[in-house]
Amino acid sequence: MDSDMEISLDRLPIKRLESIEENGAERFPSDVGYDDKRVSLIRRIDFAWALEEEDELKNNKKKKKTSKEGPEQWQWKGMVENLQSAHQELSVIIDLINTVEANDAVTVAGMTRPKPIPNEILSDLAVSTATKLQSYRHLGKFFKQSAKSLEQKVNREARFYGALIRLQRNWKVKRQRVLASNASNEGFTIDLSDSSLYDPASGFRPSTLSTIRVEHDSAGMLAINLPQDSWYSLRFGFVGLNSIDNPNESDEHINSTTGQDPISEKQSVSDDESVKETHSLLREVHKSIFAEQLFDMLNREAFSEGVGFSISGIRENFMEMNIGQGASLFVSLYPSGKNASIKKSESANMLIESSAEGDCRVNKLGFPSRASYEIYLQQIFHEHAFGKAKDQPKSKSNRASNQTAKDNNSGLLDHFCLSLAHRIFSARVLVQLESVVCKVPYLHLISHPTWNSRTSSWTVLMTVPPSIIPQGRSESQSLDGKRNIKTQFRTRVVVKDDCISIEAECTPNVVGLLKSTSCNLFSMNKYECDLADLPVIILQQVASQIVCWLLEEARTVGTKASRDFLSLSLEIVEGERVSLVGQVNPEDVKGCISWWLVMENGCTEERKGVSESRKSLGHLSLDVLYSVLMDLINLCGSGRNALD
Amino acid sequence: MMMKNKAGGAGGGMSGSGEGAGPTAAAAAAALQKQKALLQRVETDITSVVDNFTQIVNVARVSDLPVKNSQEAYMMEMRASKMVQAADSILKLVSELKQTAIFSGFASLNDHVEQRIAEFDQEAEKTNRLLARIGDDASASLKELEAHYYSSSQRLTPDV
Repeated sequence: MDSDMEISLDRLPIKRLESIEENGAERFPSDVGYDDKRVSLIRRIDFAWALEEEDELKNNKKKKKTSKEGPEQWQWKGMVENLQSAHQELSVIIDLINTVEANDAVTVAGMTRPKPIPNEILSDLAVSTATKLQSYRHLGKFFKQSAKSLEQKVNREARFYGALIRLQRNWKVKRQRVLASNASNEGFTIDLSDSSLYDPASGFRPSTLSTIRVEHDSAGMLAINLPQDSWYSLRFGFVGLNSIDNPNESDEHINSTTGQDPISEKQSVSDDESVKETHSLLREVHKSIFAEQLFDMLNREAFSEGVGFSISGIRENFMEMNIGQGASLFVSLYPSGKNASIKKSESANMLIESSAEGDCRVNKLGFPSRASYEIYLQQIFHEHAFGKAKDQPKSKSNRASNQTAKDNNSGLLDHFCLSLAHRIFSARVLVQLESVVCKVPYLHLISHPTWNSRTSSWTVLMTVPPSIIPQGRSESQSLDGKRNIKTQFRTRVVVKDDCISIEAECTPNVVGLLKSTSCNLFSMNKYECDLADLPVIILQQVASQIVCWLLEEARTVGTKASRDFLSLSLEIVEGERVSLVGQVNPEDVKGCISWWLVMENGCTEERKGVSESRKSLGHLSLDVLYSVLMDLINLCGSGRNALD
Repeated sequence: MMMKNKAGGAGGGMSGSGEGAGPTAAAAAAALQKQKALLQRVETDITSVVDNFTQIVNVARVSDLPVKNSQEAYMMEMRASKMVQAADSILKLVSELKQTAIFSGFASLNDHVEQRIAEFDQEAEKTNRLLARIGDDASASLKELEAHYYSSSQRLTPDV
């Protein structure tokens, strides 16, 4: 301390007379207690020196400031100094208060506010106003932030509910009231099951994919999370011809809208596309459920007795069966989706051919198209499962449904296998028919679509040349008065399952020979045959029809003629006969029907046996045959005249 | 709009409830009760927003006592939070109404389902007719082609 030290002297602790009263009594000051003494000492503390020091420091600092003015002056330095001084004063006051507080004998008698300086009022007001303004600004920011977040929430909800409403137009949306609030799932589910199927009588079980949870993605949009391999598709094919696992076939890989694979996740440009993707995904799952139900039904029917199939292999999601006709087919469920294609190529254990080569080989072997029968299998199951609940109008267009209604006695799998076997068999029948018809110029083959999966029909048509003899002259009539002049002969071939039946007139049978009247000649006969004999039977039928036609023509002109199987005999003179004999050979590439002219001399009593001479006429057209017949008839006529 | 529909439905339900007892009357009464509860919630929330905002505006006056200013600052924060909470509650109410509209609009849902069924039936019928026509056309074309083929002199022997 540079200032002079002030010394205060206390009086000696001697009792001094304070006052003398008039009566002479002396008054001495009362004894001061220790506490009172201490209090008095405290009161005598003078802080003026501290205040003076501070004033001096301030003055010195001001001087330093004015002397050191420059670009380096810190703008907050004054405030810092004020705060420091205020802190110092406060610390002194706090010490004082603590001391007073510690000393129970000393209490604060009163406090007087220092007289406010006019500037202080305004500054306090300014501070309060600034503080309040700051509070309001803070509130404003808070409100803006809240408004923004609420607006985002509204937009997210609008997108979500908009998408949900659009989905609800096509799918069954259900709500489950969840207790715990979950940001990703508000309890919405989409129910893909059909309640009409799930009854004990039908035996269908609900699929695990029947209920799908609706969730939010990161943008708040409606999303459906499904593992890529969780849904299946039905695969059908022929063992050894179609691959069981074919990675070459392009399936539609539907990505989940939430993007299980972050690499392939594509950001939807608009909500419409997102909803469309969800629709597609749900449709894929719906088809998967259908495929599972179909496979489930096939599994159950596989263990029942069936005529058309026999199980040759069965494992999880795979079934192989023999259907006859040298064919085996498989039905399998395999997972669809992106990862499935990788799994398929890794787990393939069958000889895999490319689909194009497989189809080519399939066609060569007469096997039908795999895809068409896959669709047919799904269609008959769909009608079986859903057609019972609904009354489907029977119209010309619902040919398949009519047919399945009739074939309800056999199970669906049995019916399907029989249909497939029939298709393979009928293809072979067609090949045989075409091989015959192509070689005989006057035969036409007409196909008759039956719209029945187990029945096929064709007609072998032969058009004969018109007769040169007018119809009014000696025309033969049947007993019922009808004319028997025919220009077309039809041989109808009907295949039902694997049974071939032929229906035609002029059948070369023994019974017909015994009654060779015209009315019986053209009667319709129906008989069956097998595939190996079909070409021969057809050719014999056609040759027999030609012979019948020629016989009728001969009879028309009054010639005595007779028929014997495939030969037409005319009597020239007594004992001498000339015959026109047909010979059939399916392997003959020049024409399957050839003709022979046979001359027979009748045996007399002197000569035993019949002498016969033959001449091959070759493959003759119908016009030439007719001419030959007319020539023979003329020959017969001239022979009789000569005898006469 | 939803409220008005509900009021109309509730009014209709109320008029019908007097005619006979049963599930319909109970459902109408429940709907009316729910409507009242929703309106009460809306009113409460809106009142909360208005009152709190009024209070915030009222304490804009700067007090002499800084302690009171601090007290008012805390109160303003509290009231702002209450306002936001009330707004959030209103939005949740709107979400509930949307869900109710989605899942309780049976009339419109049924109409839409029937309309879709009719559309799909028409589509199925149209597809069946198309398939039948294709079949008939294919049959006619096959017949014609067969006639031409077997009438031609160039018949090929099929590969067996």
